[in-house]
Amino acid sequence: MKCNLKFTPTPQLVVRKIIGTIILILLITLTPSTHPIWFGLEGILLLGLLWWRRVPPRCVLRRLLILSPFVAGTALAAQYSATGVDWKILALRSTLCLLTIIAFAETTAVSDLLRGLRLIRVPTLLVTTLALMHRYLFVLADESSRMNRARAARTFTTGRRLAWLQAASVAGQLFVRATERAERVYDAMCARGWKT
Amino acid sequence: MHIPDGFLDAKTALTTATLSAIAVSFALRHVRRELPPRRVPLLGLSAAFLFAAQMVNFPIAGGTSGHLLGGTLIAVLLGPSAAVVVVTTVLIVQCFLFADGGVLALGANIFNMGLVATLGGYAVYRCVNLMWPGPRGRTVALTVAGWSSTIFAAFSCAGQLAWSQTLVWEIAWPVMTSTHALIGLGEGIISALILIAITRTRPDLVATSSLGVTPVRWREFSFLCLLISLGLACFVAPFASSAPDGLETVAIQGGFAHRALAPLRSVLAADYQIPGLTSPALSTALAGMLGIAAVLGLALLISRLVLREASPKKMLRE
Amino acid sequence: MKPAISVQGLSFCYPDGLAALTEISFQVARGECVGLLGPNGSGKSTLLRHLNGILPERLLGENGPIQIDGTPVTSLHLAELRRQIGLLFQDPDDQLFCSTVAEDVAFGPQQLGLTAEEIHQRVQAALQQVGLGDLAPRPPHHLSTGEKRRACLAGVLACDPSILVLDEPSSGLDPRGRRELITLLRQITATKLIATHDLELVVELCPRSLILDRGRIIADGPTTTLLNDEALMLAHGLERPHVLQHAHPHRGEPR
Repeated sequence: MKCNLKFTPTPQLVVRKIIGTIILILLITLTPSTHPIWFGLEGILLLGLLWWRRVPPRCVLRRLLILSPFVAGTALAAQYSATGVDWKILALRSTLCLLTIIAFAETTAVSDLLRGLRLIRVPTLLVTTLALMHRYLFVLADESSRMNRARAARTFTTGRRLAWLQAASVAGQLFVRATERAERVYDAMCARGWKT
Repeated sequence: MHIPDGFLDAKTALTTATLSAIAVSFALRHVRRELPPRRVPLLGLSAAFLFAAQMVNFPIAGGTSGHLLGGTLIAVLLGPSAAVVVVTTVLIVQCFLFADGGVLALGANIFNMGLVATLGGYAVYRCVNLMWPGPRGRTVALTVAGWSSTIFAAFSCAGQLAWSQTLVWEIAWPVMTSTHALIGLGEGIISALILIAITRTRPDLVATSSLGVTPVRWREFSFLCLLISLGLACFVAPFASSAPDGLETVAIQGGFAHRALAPLRSVLAADYQIPGLTSPALSTALAGMLGIAAVLGLALLISRLVLREASPKKMLRE
Repeated sequence: MKPAISVQGLSFCYPDGLAALTEISFQVARGECVGLLGPNGSGKSTLLRHLNGILPERLLGENGPIQIDGTPVTSLHLAELRRQIGLLFQDPDDQLFCSTVAEDVAFGPQQLGLTAEEIHQRVQAALQQVGLGDLAPRPPHHLSTGEKRRACLAGVLACDPSILVLDEPSSGLDPRGRRELITLLRQITATKLIATHDLELVVELCPRSLILDRGRIIADGPTTTLLNDEALMLAHGLERPHVLQHAHPHRGEPR
């Protein structure tokens, strides 16, 4: 998923970056639809940012494509709902916001983001949970795909009922493993002197 | 159901963000107080589990497949406040790392999926399980809860989109709730199947949080009833108020919504005009509140009866 | 001199009634390197966990079965004890729970309440020692198994323990990673207790070994003597390592 080199800034810089991203998104959201020229300017600014930080265009494009269905769907629905919002503006606006987040996500390492969050006093429990989630995200995802493969290798019927039962048992097993791992992680934290 | 940026206006984003921040900080405080330190890493691992479990595909007809959303399941396994923290974490990661759901809309997304779906679904689960205890009741309760949680979230999402004047309410809610009534069916069944699978390997994981172990307190019960009736009212009231023109839903689902729309809108507006109220949203809200009152009264009556029946047993146990 | 580790009559049952450890007694002298051998499920991991104070309340106290450096393990001493003992877990993914290698190595020193400067120095020193200096900012997920294991070891060494307890340190490593690990472990002067199936590693590192089976200590003696006893090895799910067979081709005929 990640396809860019990330540099390691100071936590203060990350905080500034978070604030900058939010301001940029706010700007895009508040741009009046009567002046579409502003969207062009914001778009140029964003593309410039992406180019400056050398985010590969293919990466950005792929992410945009993955996320486009909801944007397209709601924009289309909005067209027929006659609230006076032009669907083209709506789609443009949310695409620009998406670009901003992609630029942020592609240039920020998660560990830096976590440090930044700690600095702006996000509750410790939430940051700990975030950190652990991100750490074990890929470990569990790997486990999940391994179990899926093992299941597929031994499945010879095509019954949908059975497929659901098996998928559920894979997911259930995944939760059991996650729980057991959580216990071991707790032990490991204690072993290095973690105090609650 | 992740709302991207640009679909909500400032007032909606700000309101939902404030509400979510308050609720999540309450949940965090509750978790810090109640959760044994041993289970603290479990929050992060459960969030990762939720993410990984969404990669497990459940085949539906024609090559498409569904997957777990999971708030209700986590609430049943870890308790409601921990579930709020877990789902919030997942949403934050999805937002910042995978650009799934907007930054300004994060508050709204946490509100819909972390709070409304999780807590609403859990309330439904508790109530159904109270009426039908035991393992089988638990399964039924989770199925119903999974279904309703999805609808709650869809409903709340539609409300926000309408409030931001991105969509018209009369279109937003039927489209959102009817599509999510189908998605929710899958969600309910998947959640229940996973719960069964977990019960089979590690029954202790489910038992610790199930209803049979902790006796329900009166205050808690009435709170749950309030929650569930609120949710029900949200869902049922608009149905009731627009029942005369059920055609509208059919029209939209039939795919000729946009063609039929202009005349329909004028008809709708005529129907909705309760004397003294010009705004359809306002009259819907009023009907909703009346609905809440009625359902709440009924639920309190039932709960009185249920609790009176349960109290001798409780005394015996103590 | 008091032994570094002293265990007297330690028994432990799991909540489901399964007896994991029965009447375990042994001592490890300071600076010694002892191998802990036994088949899967023999109670090795359970025993190691107990040494680091991950154990039920009832085993704590003045008359408890475990003494570290002559001090009984009490709840008061638990923090001090964990500082002295470094535990290397079997699955490196369990132990590397932070988002970068450097943060993970810093976790232990942070819990000790050191200053930022001291923490930085310890992290650098530990990473240099295991040869991972340039991987510090990397997320653990991108490391190979060998690198993960060394990162875990760095995290343990950063706490500056006097006793190292290792659970299956060589499992999942390729020959080169295993060789690097052995060289690394040889350089560390702390008292070491190594639980493993890797008998060749034991032959290289540990002059003395314990054999554990079904929660009991079956044998305690010089590694080469124990490992050359074919009957003993086979009875407890182990086998005579090739190293010894090649080194003494005529001594090890079946008796």
